[in-house]
Amino acid sequence: MVNALPSTSAFASRTSRALLPSVLIAVGILLLPFVRPDRAFEFFNWELGAFSKVSWLAGLLVFSSLALSVLSALRLPMLARGYALIGISSGTAITVFAWLASTGSYFGYGALVALICLLLVLGVGLSETGLIQSDPFIASSIVLCSVFVALFIAYPLFIVLRESIIVNGVFTLKKVQETLSSPLFMVLENKFTPRSETTIVFGIAFVGGLLALIFSLRRRASIQLLLGSTLAGLVLGFIIGAGVFGRGAFATSLYLALIVAPTTVFFGLIFAILEQRCRAAWVRRILSIVGILPMITPPFVLAFALENWFGAQGLITNRVFGIDTNYFKGVTGVGIAQIMAFTPIAYLTLRGSVQGLNPALEEAAQTMRSNPWMVFTRVTLPLLRPGLAAAFLLTIIESLADFSNPILLGGDRSFLATEVYLALTGRYDPNEASVYGAVLLVLVLIILGLQRAWLGNTSFVTVTGKPGSGNFSLLPRWLENTLQGILAFWGILVAMLYGSVFYGSFVKIWGVNGEFTLQHYIDFSGTGLEVLFRTAQVAFVAAIAATLLGFLIAYLVTRQSFFGRSALETTSMLSFATPGTVMGVAYVISFNVGPWLLTGTFIILVIALVFRNMPASIRSVMAGLSQIDKALDEASTLLRAPSSTTLAKVLVPLLIPQLLSGIVFAFVRSMTAISQIIFLISPGNLLATVLMLSWLEQGNLGRAAAMSTVMILGLLGLILLLFAFSKRFSRNGTGLEGIG
Amino acid sequence: MNQLAVPVRLEQIVKRFGTVTAVEAVSLELPAGQLVTLLGPSGCGKTTILRMVAGLERPSEGKIFFGSDDVTQLPAYLRDVTMMFQSYALFPHMNVFENIAYGLRVTKRPLEEIRERVAGVVAQVGLQNLEQRAVQALSGGQQQRVALARALIMQPRVLLFDEPLSNLDAKLRKRVREEIRELQQKFGITSLYVTHDQEEAMAISDLVVVMKAGIIEQQGAPRELYQAPNTRFVADFIGRANFLSGQYHGSSATIGSYSFPFSQNIEQGNVTVMIRPESLRVATDGIGLEGTMHSVAFLGTTTEYTVNTATGQLEGVMAGDAPLLAKPGETVRVQFATEGVYLIKT
Repeated sequence: MVNALPSTSAFASRTSRALLPSVLIAVGILLLPFVRPDRAFEFFNWELGAFSKVSWLAGLLVFSSLALSVLSALRLPMLARGYALIGISSGTAITVFAWLASTGSYFGYGALVALICLLLVLGVGLSETGLIQSDPFIASSIVLCSVFVALFIAYPLFIVLRESIIVNGVFTLKKVQETLSSPLFMVLENKFTPRSETTIVFGIAFVGGLLALIFSLRRRASIQLLLGSTLAGLVLGFIIGAGVFGRGAFATSLYLALIVAPTTVFFGLIFAILEQRCRAAWVRRILSIVGILPMITPPFVLAFALENWFGAQGLITNRVFGIDTNYFKGVTGVGIAQIMAFTPIAYLTLRGSVQGLNPALEEAAQTMRSNPWMVFTRVTLPLLRPGLAAAFLLTIIESLADFSNPILLGGDRSFLATEVYLALTGRYDPNEASVYGAVLLVLVLIILGLQRAWLGNTSFVTVTGKPGSGNFSLLPRWLENTLQGILAFWGILVAMLYGSVFYGSFVKIWGVNGEFTLQHYIDFSGTGLEVLFRTAQVAFVAAIAATLLGFLIAYLVTRQSFFGRSALETTSMLSFATPGTVMGVAYVISFNVGPWLLTGTFIILVIALVFRNMPASIRSVMAGLSQIDKALDEASTLLRAPSSTTLAKVLVPLLIPQLLSGIVFAFVRSMTAISQIIFLISPGNLLATVLMLSWLEQGNLGRAAAMSTVMILGLLGLILLLFAFSKRFSRNGTGLEGIG
Repeated sequence: MNQLAVPVRLEQIVKRFGTVTAVEAVSLELPAGQLVTLLGPSGCGKTTILRMVAGLERPSEGKIFFGSDDVTQLPAYLRDVTMMFQSYALFPHMNVFENIAYGLRVTKRPLEEIRERVAGVVAQVGLQNLEQRAVQALSGGQQQRVALARALIMQPRVLLFDEPLSNLDAKLRKRVREEIRELQQKFGITSLYVTHDQEEAMAISDLVVVMKAGIIEQQGAPRELYQAPNTRFVADFIGRANFLSGQYHGSSATIGSYSFPFSQNIEQGNVTVMIRPESLRVATDGIGLEGTMHSVAFLGTTTEYTVNTATGQLEGVMAGDAPLLAKPGETVRVQFATEGVYLIKT
C-alpha cells in the first residue's frame, strides 16, 4: 500500500480557530449597540453604538479584532501565537469590563458579543500554548462554562453572604445580630403565659442529650461516637422543644424538617419495597403515577387542595365533622402538604438503592435460619443505610427550601424560606433578606457536609446499581396487605386532592356553589393563557440552554482533565443545593446594579431557570456518559476527529435519550418553578406560577384551579409522550431511570 | 516497505500522576516499519507509554519524535496515529462500513475514495459482505477485524495495539495474532504493541521491551531475551525458569557440589544460575546435580516434573510422554544443556 494520500503534515504552522470569533468582535462593535440606557435590550440603535459612546474603547476593540484576525489567519508557530492571543484578548476584555464597571454603564448586545468572542479567543490561545492541554473547542468551552458558572452561581451566592455583613458599604455585624435576635427568627419565651418556655425547651434538650447518651452507652460506642450522639441528642431535643413551645422561622423550619424527613423517608421506603416485592400489578401502576405527579404539579396546588379538604372551612373538617379550627394553618398543614409533596421524591431516591440490593445476600441470611424480620432488620436495612441517609438529607433540604406550602399554609408561623421573601418584598430590607438567605445557605451546606462525612462521596441524587442474581423473597401476606393498605390510602388521598382541583375548576364557587360552569376557563383564557404561553416559551428556551450547558459541563468534568475541574463541578452542583429563594434574592441583589443589570428583563428569568435546572442535566448526562466507554472518544480522536466532531458524531447520538429527557424534565421543572422566579418577575414578564399565586391571594380560586388543571394535563401529556418515545428509541433499556 | 514508515523515538520520558511516577526516564527507539512490544505486569507503565505515543497523555518530561518531527506537544487528533483498543471501541450506533469509514469521513475525503479504500481494506481483513451489518451483530473475532480495518485504513504513521487480544478465547487469539502480524508486515507500519502475555509478545514482535515499575528492564529480539536475560525478573517473565545460586569460575560453573563447563562474559564469583526447564537432563546415575524426583505429571504434549536438590527445587519439561523417566522418590542426577543456562549477577 504505497499509494498513500498526500500526508496532511500536522507539523507546519497552522492557521488558528480563533479567526471567526476575532472577526465577530468587530462585527458586534460596529453593528450592535454597545450599552443600554436602561433595562431594555435593543438590537439596532446607532446612538448607543460603541463609536458614538466611547470612541477610544471602540477603536481599541476594532484594533484588537483586527490584530487577532491577522494573527489567526497567518500560518504562525502555535506557541508564540497562543501567547499573543491570550495577551490581546484578556487585556481587551479586562479593559471593556473595567470601563463598564467604572462608568456604571449597562452592557448591551455589542459589549456582550465582544466579551464572549474575546473569551473564545482566550480559550483558543490557552489551547495553542498548551496551558490547557486540549483542542481549541474544549479550551474555549472550559473558559466560557467557568465564566458562566462563576458569574451566575458563585458570584450571586458570594453577594448574598457579603450583603449580610456589609450594610451601605460598611462592614457591620449589626444586621446579623438584629435579625438573629428578632422574634421572627427565633423566640422561646412567651410573655403571656405564666410558665417559662425557655426552661421547658432546655429541659427537653437535656432529656434528648441524656437519652442519646444512655442509648450509645448501651451500644458500647467509642468516645467520639458517644460525644457526637450526645451532641446530636441535645440539638434534636432543642429543635423539638423550640418547635413546639417557641416561635420564629429558625425553630419552625428545623422542627418542620425534622418531622417531614423521617415520615417521607418511611413512606418512600414502603413504596420502594412494595414496588420491588409486591405480587399485585396495580401497585406498580399506582407507583409509576406517584413518581411523576410531584414534578408536573404546579406549586400551591397541593397546599390549596389540602386546605380545601381539611382547613378551617374544609369539606371534611367543617362540613363533615363541624369543626371550625385554625389548627391546620401552621406546622400541621405545612407538614402534611410537604409529606404529600416530598414522599415521591424520597421514593424515587430510595428506589435506586432498593433495586440495587443483591437478593443473594438475603437468601444467604435465610439459609442461616434468620426469620424474615431478622433478615429485614439485620441485612436489608443496613444495606439500605446510604440510600436512607441520602433520602433523609434530601428531604430535609427540600423541606427547608420549600416556599409554596409555607406561604399558603404557614398561618402565624414564620419559615426561613418565606422570611427571605417577606424581608425583601414586604419590609424591603435586602440586608435582612441576605441574613436569612445566608442562614439557610449555611444550614444546607452543613447538611451536605454531614452527608459527605457520613456517606463519603456517593452521589445523593441517584443511587444506582445492577441487580444481582437470585430472587427476592415475597413479603409475608399480612405485611404486604398492610403496606398495600397504606399505599391505597395514599392513592385515595392523592386522588381526592387532584380531583378537588379538577372539580373546583368546573364549579361556580368551590365548596359553596356546586353548579357546573366553564366560566373559570373563559376567565383563565384571558390573561392566563397568554401568560401560560409566555411561561412555556421561557421554559422552553431555558430547558434547551440548561440541557446543552449541562451536557457540555458534564462532558468537560468527566472526560477532560484541566486545572479547576472539580471546582467547576462543585460550583455547578451548588446551585442544586441552594434553596430557590436564596438564589432568587441573590440574583435580585447581584444583578440590580452595575454592568450586569438584568433584573426586570426576560433574560434573567431564563438565566435563573437555566442555572437552576442545569445540575439535573449534568447528573443525567454524567450517568449516561459513565456507560459509554472512554475508549470510544479516544478511538474517534485518534481517527483524527477533533473533540467537537467526537461530541457531535459519537457522544450526542449515543446520548439522545438522556438529552431528550433532560430537555423535557427541565421544561417541566421550569414551568412549575416558583421560589426563585417570584423575586425576578416584573410587570411585563409575569409567569404562570406567580399569576396563580396572585389569583389565589385575591380569592380567584376557580381560575387558579382551571390553570392548574390545564398545566397538570399538559405536562402529564408531555411526559407520557416522552416515555412512549424513549421506549421506542432506547437502545439498551437505559432510558429514563433515575432522572426524576 | 511502506515509504511513509517512520522511526519513533522516545527521549527520557517521565510521566507522573500526582505523586505517583508511572514512567521513569524511559528512552526507546522503534525502528521504522517494525513491530515493538512493551511487555510487563499490570501497572508497569507500558500502557502509559502507549498512550503518550498516541497523544492521549502528555509526558511530564521528555520528548517524543516521529522521524525528525517533535510531536510531544501535538494533540492526539493531529498525530496521524491509530490504535486498536482492548475493548475494540467500535461505535455502537454505526454499522461496519460507517465504523471503518469514520476517520476518512472526519477528514473529509471524497466519497469515491472512501468507498474504494473501505472496499480495499475490507478485503484485506476478510470482512466482505458484512459492511452493512450492525457491529453488535458480529462475533468477537469479526469485531476485532473491524477495529483493525478502521485503524489500518488511515494509513497511520504509527499503529498502536493496547492488549487487543485479551477479550478473545485462546484459540482465536492465536489466529488473530498471526493475522495482525501478517498485515503489519505487509503494510510495513511502525507499530507499538502492549501486552502482558509473553507468548503473544514473542510470537508477534521484532523487538520486545520488558518493563517493570516504570523502567525498562531489558530490550531485544525475542530469542535474545529468552536466551540471555539480564535480570531474574526478565528471565522469569519471558518463559519459565529455575534459579539456583552458584559460583562462576571463568570457564566453569558450580551449583552445590556439581561443577560443569560453562563460559559467559560475566564477573567471577557468586551468581544466580538460570536454568530453563526444557534444558534439564535427568539420569539415575552418572555425574550431575544430585537430587530426588519429587513429582511427575503427564500433560499430553509435555511431561512436567520436579526434582528436589540440596540447593532448591528444579522444574523440568520434556516433550511428549516420558516412560523412562525416574519415578517419584528415586535418587537422580541432573545435568543441563548449555543453551538453556544463563548466569545472572546476584
